Amino acid sequence: MFKAKLSEAVICFRAGRVTLKYPFEPVKVPPKFRGKIKFDARKCIACGGCANVCPSRCIVFEDIGEVTKITFYLDRCIQCARCYEVCPEDAIWPTEEFETATPDKSDLRSEMIQWSSTCQRCGRCFETDNAIDKFQSKRWRGRGPGEANKHGIFPIKPPIDFAQRMSLVRESEVDQ
Amino acid sequence: MPKQQELLMNLYAHFPDMLQDFQEHVKDQLIATVPREVLPAVVKYAVKQMGARFVITVATDMRPKTGDFRVSYVLAFDAEKKFLVLQSHVPPEDPTVPSVTPDVPAANWAEREAFDLMGISPVGHPDPRRLVLPDDFPKGVHPLRREFGYNDIFPREQNAPPRMPAPENTTVVPLGPFYPTLEEPAYFRLFLDGERVVGSDYRGFYNHRAIEKLGDSELNYNQIPFVAQQICGICGQVHSCAYVEAVENACGIDVPLRAKYIRSLLLELERIHSHLLWVGLAGHIIGFDTVLMQLWRIREPVMWLMERITGNRKHYSSNLVGGVRFDIDDGAKEDIRRVMKKVEEELKAVADAVAIDTTLMLRLKEKGILTEEDARAIAVVGPVARGSNVPIDARVDHPYAAYRELGVQIQVEDGCDNWARTMVRIRELFESIRLVRKALDDMPPGPVMATVDHELPSGRIGLCSVEAARGEAHHYVLTGDDNRPYRWRVRAPTYPNLQAVGVMIKGAELADVPIDIGSYDPCFSCTERVETLDINTKEIHVYSREELEEMCRLKTWKKE
Repeated sequence: MFKAKLSEAVICFRAGRVTLKYPFEPVKVPPKFRGKIKFDARKCIACGGCANVCPSRCIVFEDIGEVTKITFYLDRCIQCARCYEVCPEDAIWPTEEFETATPDKSDLRSEMIQWSSTCQRCGRCFETDNAIDKFQSKRWRGRGPGEANKHGIFPIKPPIDFAQRMSLVRESEVDQ
Repeated sequence: MPKQQELLMNLYAHFPDMLQDFQEHVKDQLIATVPREVLPAVVKYAVKQMGARFVITVATDMRPKTGDFRVSYVLAFDAEKKFLVLQSHVPPEDPTVPSVTPDVPAANWAEREAFDLMGISPVGHPDPRRLVLPDDFPKGVHPLRREFGYNDIFPREQNAPPRMPAPENTTVVPLGPFYPTLEEPAYFRLFLDGERVVGSDYRGFYNHRAIEKLGDSELNYNQIPFVAQQICGICGQVHSCAYVEAVENACGIDVPLRAKYIRSLLLELERIHSHLLWVGLAGHIIGFDTVLMQLWRIREPVMWLMERITGNRKHYSSNLVGGVRFDIDDGAKEDIRRVMKKVEEELKAVADAVAIDTTLMLRLKEKGILTEEDARAIAVVGPVARGSNVPIDARVDHPYAAYRELGVQIQVEDGCDNWARTMVRIRELFESIRLVRKALDDMPPGPVMATVDHELPSGRIGLCSVEAARGEAHHYVLTGDDNRPYRWRVRAPTYPNLQAVGVMIKGAELADVPIDIGSYDPCFSCTERVETLDINTKEIHVYSREELEEMCRLKTWKKE
């Protein structure tokens, strides 16, 4: 008992300090840090590779005629930097910024509008080495304006009409 | 493969003509279809006579493909290093299966979950209350069925909470949903006779996030690893690794050896910081905060190390189907060796002191007893099982990543109490440090990502168990068309372990319940505000959310 307490006391007295002074002093981020993403409209070719791989649907494409509207919902970003990895033009990259807390989510949204007529040969300009990252999913980008066509980012739909749905579901013995 | 043949012959001999449609295209993984009427008998025979461990039930809505539901029982033969999947077809007009829970209690939650989410009723289940869905969710709606979208909203319904009636002459003490030592929402109702717990009731799943539904309906193969790693704040690498290995198993993708070593290295480092966190928290729960402070101080350099090699303290985002996204360079190797040396020294001092501390022994020894028999019946995993003398460890039994090459020593204790579980974790820390060093020494040169030049085949089943710090995390993937899995099932290690809590705390005193629950290492997370104390004026200033946000905003946005 006494020996244990003594050696615990020794550990405590010899202990250093690991608490950082953040947020009163800035903290240096590590070299591979993946922070808030930035993009360069002059380099972007609106191929949609980033939107195709984005796990949290933080990058959304809408084709409106010859114009492509790209919306970045950075409030949804999980900072995996996959967009940076697949971008063929280095038009998007992670920065060292991480203090993105805000009372208003719309602070973190930004839009980019690109003129991009459809490619005459294949309709797309993005290729990867990895077969899994190719555009195989049909719904990787929105099809024109309108809430209904924006894929995956607006979870609020009107409640299900049970009058029509009821036939699909079935009360079971266990539930009663 | 003689062992594989032996298992099959054994099952065949007892159930002639019942097992059909064998699939053995994945190594160490047997799939058989049985009629649903004999499913409980086969599962019971495999568990009771052949020593299988029940892992999970997977209910799949195959109606768009084959017109029926499919129920798969995943069993693990740990000694033989095999998985057995027993599948049954369930017609949609009669979605029932005979329950295996009366014979195999480990299947209790899994079958209730299959009913809640997919509507497959386990007939004869002894306790068919609602498990996963919230109380106000409409009856008869099973959200994992294909007709429902991931973002459907259902009208609310007033349902009575699925509570277990309290035994007579007992007092009910609620523990949770938010309890100071268990910051995650879990609601225990303890039935007390005086100070002694005579029974308990659990209600959880308050934070169910429908990640499986997203995986079924929205995400593609290479997006899921990043969502999988968000399942847990501590074992993110475990879940993303288990998912990608399950896909790789199903599709036969050969991962470069270096990538496997990097996965193992990150998994072991994750185990080190998780176990350090747990030992600290165990001290905190019993009111011995020195242990908390010192262990977390030792842990912090490991977190910085993870930042250095992956870019982030947590959520390393390292795994993709086919390999890992970044390499470990020589500088990082040096850093890992340096940090491991320091952690080992400090940990040794703490472990020596803790091991003879009678205060700790009084609180931990012979408390929270889970006998070997119960541990096997409920099929608990990880340090909880190993503390009850059940030598299972997915790293040895179902090797993944580079563990076949590394070789792991299983740490087992036979105390069956909280102390045994603590000792298992402390010894595993030293084992993990050894494994990290071995992985660094043996890591072969080469690429870290396989070239995947063909589309992944559809309709294959892949399984992977990964030994997380809390136990075995199991992922089941059924591949689909359109570059996404058809079904992705996750079983986190706390899922079976939590079912053992009722047994563990029965007969305990109320004051011991927090550490009993804590001893199986539930995940913790919390966010606190900042408080500052001016030493000269003794003035305390608590920063509000607005002030902290303002400071952050100024830093981030002024540069733009």
